[in-house]
Amino acid sequence: MIEKEGEQFMDKLLKLLSDGRARTIEMLAAELDTSASDVARKLEYLEIIGVIRRVSFQNGNCKGCTGCSGKGKKDAAPCKGCIPDEGFKNMGVMWEVV
Amino acid sequence: MSTGVTVALLGQPNSGKSTLFNALTGLRQHVGNWPGKTVEKKEGSFVHKGKEYRVADLPGSYSLSANSDEEVITRDYIASGEADVVCILADSSQLQRSLFMLADYAGIDVPCFLLLNMSDVAAEQGKKIDAKAIGEKLGIPVIPFSATDKKSYDVFYDALEAVIKDKGLLNVDKLTQQYESIIGYREIYDLIPENVIPGYSAMWIAVKALENDKVVMAKLRAALDDNAYSQIEEAKKNAQGAVATGGCKFAWIDDVLEKAVDAGDKKISLSFLDKIYTSRIWGKPAVILTVLLGLIASFIPAIPLMIVGSLILAVKAPVMGVLTSIGCPEILTLIIGDVVIQSFSYIFKMLGFVFGVTLVFGLLEEVGVMARISYVFDNTMGKLGLQGKSVMPFLVSFGCTMGGAAGARVIDNWGQKVLTIALAWAVPCGAAWATIPMLSTIFFGPGAVLVIVAVLLTMLLHMWITAKIFGAKLVKKEDRYGMIMELPPYHKPKWGALFRYVFGRTKETFIRVTKVILLVCGVFWLLSYSPSGDNGGILYTIGVAIEPVTKIFGMPWQLFLSYVASAVGKEGAIGVISALYNGNSYSSGFMDAMNGAARAENLNELLLANVTKPEALAFIFAMTFNMPCVVALAATYQETHSAKWTSIIVTYYTAVSLILAFLAYHIGLLIW
Ligand SMILES: Nc1nc2c(ncn2[C@@H]2O[C@H](COP(=O)(O)OP(=O)(O)OP(=O)(O)O)[C@@H](O)[C@H]2O)c(=O)[nH]1
Ligand SMILES: [Mg+2]
Repeated sequence: MIEKEGEQFMDKLLKLLSDGRARTIEMLAAELDTSASDVARKLEYLEIIGVIRRVSFQNGNCKGCTGCSGKGKKDAAPCKGCIPDEGFKNMGVMWEVV
Repeated sequence: MSTGVTVALLGQPNSGKSTLFNALTGLRQHVGNWPGKTVEKKEGSFVHKGKEYRVADLPGSYSLSANSDEEVITRDYIASGEADVVCILADSSQLQRSLFMLADYAGIDVPCFLLLNMSDVAAEQGKKIDAKAIGEKLGIPVIPFSATDKKSYDVFYDALEAVIKDKGLLNVDKLTQQYESIIGYREIYDLIPENVIPGYSAMWIAVKALENDKVVMAKLRAALDDNAYSQIEEAKKNAQGAVATGGCKFAWIDDVLEKAVDAGDKKISLSFLDKIYTSRIWGKPAVILTVLLGLIASFIPAIPLMIVGSLILAVKAPVMGVLTSIGCPEILTLIIGDVVIQSFSYIFKMLGFVFGVTLVFGLLEEVGVMARISYVFDNTMGKLGLQGKSVMPFLVSFGCTMGGAAGARVIDNWGQKVLTIALAWAVPCGAAWATIPMLSTIFFGPGAVLVIVAVLLTMLLHMWITAKIFGAKLVKKEDRYGMIMELPPYHKPKWGALFRYVFGRTKETFIRVTKVILLVCGVFWLLSYSPSGDNGGILYTIGVAIEPVTKIFGMPWQLFLSYVASAVGKEGAIGVISALYNGNSYSSGFMDAMNGAARAENLNELLLANVTKPEALAFIFAMTFNMPCVVALAATYQETHSAKWTSIIVTYYTAVSLILAFLAYHIGLLIW
């Protein structure tokens, strides 16, 4: 695959990203007729230049949540009181268009 | 060259610069700082064939943009001419990605050569790389290399000597061609005099101008007269930016690698499961089925603790009997029996479900299914007027609504955040998930599964309707943003870690729930206790008075008070039921116990005798969809910063839970 006009490809990618539908990297790759690793490196670039943003569900800024009735089910919240420190594990990576 | 040659090692993080640096210099290195910055400067030297070389280990960075101090220092150092040769390292195992540094380097006029490092890893992956072909396209030496293998360093020294001799520069013709297709590139390029910023070509500067590189723009402003500079600014207005230049760099990389890399044809094929989960049609049913099966499956690990709960109940009568026989005051006997033992029986049954549900859903998360679930619901979020990431607070809310409310802070739009929290309230939390199956099994036996399904469906409907009602006020018709997910691969669970996690959660829950239930149960039991006889107690009096109203919603007064308590915390509901149904008939129960009859010792039977199935159903729905708990309420206020919306949400949920109770009761009446 020779991409003569690289900038058009990025535009297509961006269009897909912002059409409001959820996609996995594999689906993007299929729609753009390229490989998942190609899409992945471009997403990495777009993230670095700030066009898309990684969504973080990590803990942090939550103060006390004693008494929280959290138990059972799939626990994992952005707060230490309700969740084990690990938080969401193995949830993959999510990006959103800024 | 008389004073020796300086080689700079350039590459993305983890490309192997320091490994190479250390191997080359051994102990002949020192660490300092780049002038005025806290960025570490590592320099060293080595002797090869009698000549001394100096080496600089540059900080690793993605590219040479102005995003960080490191990158600016790195590129300025190179362009300053302090280094005679730049050795660029790329990761052979992912060349398409790691050659980006080279693409960004193109236009800096210092001789360079390319090390395709980690060639051992690439070989292991079955990648075949024709370094020679790449070298011909680039016009510089390109060598397969492995920094960890010191025996292979000869090629490095050879390439180094060759570059020093030939002063080989990177061939950037093809890249320039790519850039020519960018709108605005030509105009800006023509406005930039050669060598306006020493060390950088006009092409490089023009590209950085398109990328809106602050440092480069400042240097241009300083170097050019006002008119020339404002012309560039003007040209930038209608030009494409970093998205386009990046695209060109990638396209150029692909062109360079074309026919030179045989990656061993990797067709994208989704696994069977992922085909289903990511299917437009089957995704949702599959996810719902997964969750349902998960809930049902969690009954199995719950069994042992349920049995413990029943055993505890079994000792109630004997213990009370013994206490009575040794002359223990009646009230103490009753507290130990009706409050403590009864509560612990419930606590353990609840814990059974907590354990089961945590285990099953922890497992789903661990193997990677949870990620698919959140993926599948992204589109649905859009239809609710939310962003895809709202699904995370919802998932969290299955554990704890407070966590969900706090988690909603990842949503920057205030309206969407409030809506997310409002909807998260409809998701039954962990305490509800422990209470629902427990009560349902008492009343409906195996039919409990159907109750759970009904609760889940009601939840979805509730969220849908709530989104429509609240969304109109909270969410403007906004652009809906796409969401991209990199789904984690499925993998085998680490059982040890999983069980540690599950036991940890169960223990935590045990402690918290014990406190709440004992307290609530104790308080309500005391309020309903009357030493005089059957119909005493403050609560009894109140209860009977309000019963005509509560009956409308299908709840006897005891259940209604329990519903009220569930607004404080769902586990509290169990405490109240436990207290009131014992308290109400405590005297007869007590008498029975005294007489050795064990009829009323069993609260389950007591419940079955006093509460009809429709009433139980009404209560389950009322409790589940009531306000989650006071802590969630506080969290909601904290996150929304709006007393108005917080109280709207509370009122709304109270009303809806009563309506649902009413409906459940009447549907129940039709069935039974
Ligand atoms: N298998 C293999 N591993 C390598 C090779 N070169 C480096 N590594 C490993 O890759 C890792 C990163 O190497 P470093 O030398 O620290 O990378 P770096 O470029 O200095 O990274 P930063 O300082 O973060 O920019 C280390 O664990 C090295 O052992 C190689 O040729 N083959
Ligand atoms: Mg390093």
